[in-house]
Amino acid sequence: MIASGLPAGGDWIEALLVMVLVTGAFVVTRKDLLSLVSAYQLQSLLLSVIAVSLYLSNGSEMLLYLAVLTVTSKVILIPYAIKKIQKEIKISRDIDFHYLSPMESITAMIFLILLVYGSFTKILRELSPGDLFYLGAVFGISLTLMGMLITFSRKKVITKVIGYLTMENGVLLFSLFLTELPFMIEVLVMIDLFMIVLLAAILSIGVDSSVEEFREKFNAIHIPRLQKRFEHLRKRNGEEA
Amino acid sequence: MNASFLLYALLNTVLVVLLSPFYMGLIKIVKARAQGRRGPPLLQPYYNLSKLLKKERIYSKNTSAIMRATPYINIAVMLVASLCIPLALIPTPTDGIGNVILFLYMLALAKFFMALSGLDAGGTFGGMGSSREMSISAIIEPITIIAFAALSFSLHTTDFHQMFLERAGATAFLNPGLLLIAIPLFIVLIVETSRVPVDNPETHLELTMVHEAMVLEYSGRDLALMELSHAIKQTLYMAVLINILLPWGLTSELTVAGILIAAAAFALKAGLLSFVTGLVESSMAKMRFFNLPSLFMIAFFFSILTIWLEVFG
Repeated sequence: MIASGLPAGGDWIEALLVMVLVTGAFVVTRKDLLSLVSAYQLQSLLLSVIAVSLYLSNGSEMLLYLAVLTVTSKVILIPYAIKKIQKEIKISRDIDFHYLSPMESITAMIFLILLVYGSFTKILRELSPGDLFYLGAVFGISLTLMGMLITFSRKKVITKVIGYLTMENGVLLFSLFLTELPFMIEVLVMIDLFMIVLLAAILSIGVDSSVEEFREKFNAIHIPRLQKRFEHLRKRNGEEA
Repeated sequence: MNASFLLYALLNTVLVVLLSPFYMGLIKIVKARAQGRRGPPLLQPYYNLSKLLKKERIYSKNTSAIMRATPYINIAVMLVASLCIPLALIPTPTDGIGNVILFLYMLALAKFFMALSGLDAGGTFGGMGSSREMSISAIIEPITIIAFAALSFSLHTTDFHQMFLERAGATAFLNPGLLLIAIPLFIVLIVETSRVPVDNPETHLELTMVHEAMVLEYSGRDLALMELSHAIKQTLYMAVLINILLPWGLTSELTVAGILIAAAAFALKAGLLSFVTGLVESSMAKMRFFNLPSLFMIAFFFSILTIWLEVFG
């Protein structure tokens, strides 16, 4: 369905692919959480634009569904949820790293992309119908590796989640250009992503505490807000009565 | 060398000298407006230059001939380097005057003399500025070379004139390799013109200044020449980026209308780039000196990626 000939406007799609990789590099190197989420949002938006462009060139409706799914979940819902968690944990910068600093990560990426290119040169030259699919597949795997790097080099759970999400975007990119994932699997993957974000909410708030402390921390975030809400409702009811 | 090349040399030099201070002023205004200030008038750099040209020069007793010669060497080198980068009219490629390596070496020569002149007066600020400039240069120059190598690799030539000719006649709207190379070229532009986050051109604070510290000892006509050559350097780097990424309007035909349109198009595009530079400057804080390599690493990453895109793609 997807790899059925070189689409028209290949230049545009190539440029979009390059921009996806730029957002990937941005996510690897940035330290402030808000711009990390915005970069992820932009990356997902670019992916959906690529899906729509591919749809325009070969008319497969599945691509359109994918684009809609990507926009609703990865451009709107997931970033909204992560930004909400960020507000609550009150951390704006992630400056703790395991093993690799962002600078070392980007150096490692240079070699990883070379490795991907090197290993795909022989396989994909025979499989892909055009350069664009080759480029899309290589960039997809590279983006997945970038996500992997983020996941293991960052200490904060919230940034690790962005790494997972970037990895999934890489898989989506790969599937857009080379192999086709059934739509059902895409939906299931999306549900998994929501679960990851939900788990991250729990982990970000209380991963460093015991069950009792976690409950306290969680309550400290949620109870005052609920109390305020109740008070507000009580007042309003009182006024109405 | 023929008459048409001489005409190109004359036109390009006049254009680069006339336009360069304008963009310095424009960036200052954009920064001021972004920070909620009114900022200086648009033509303030021209007023400053004309005022400085009339003022007397004062030299410290400790200075040598280097201090006196550097402004002239700098402006001469910049004007010759400007012949490598056509702003509006592309000449027929002539005997390697548009060579990338020649261009980079000429700019390095100007920087070398500037650093020497910073040391020459024996002042602490000048010495510190030169030391910082050379430390930054030692890291950014390999990356500049790789960025320009990637550019040469993408366009299959080391001659700027041929590169611009090819871009002016290109049918593809967006070349992915060139889109990538725009990022390192922009970083190089920021670093080489001493802008935030690498240096702050507004400040004369001894702890942070780099470029300003080196020209601190200059006064009068010498300072005017140093300021002008700095502005020319900025315009040249901007022209490389603009003519590679947005080549519309560039002409290789020697007609009055063509040249006028090309010059107007360049002025407009450079104005847009100045606007972006001003916004980037005011949206960022100056980086710590030892954090700078991470910025340079991003430029390196995208340059290498461009080369791989060309090799494997």
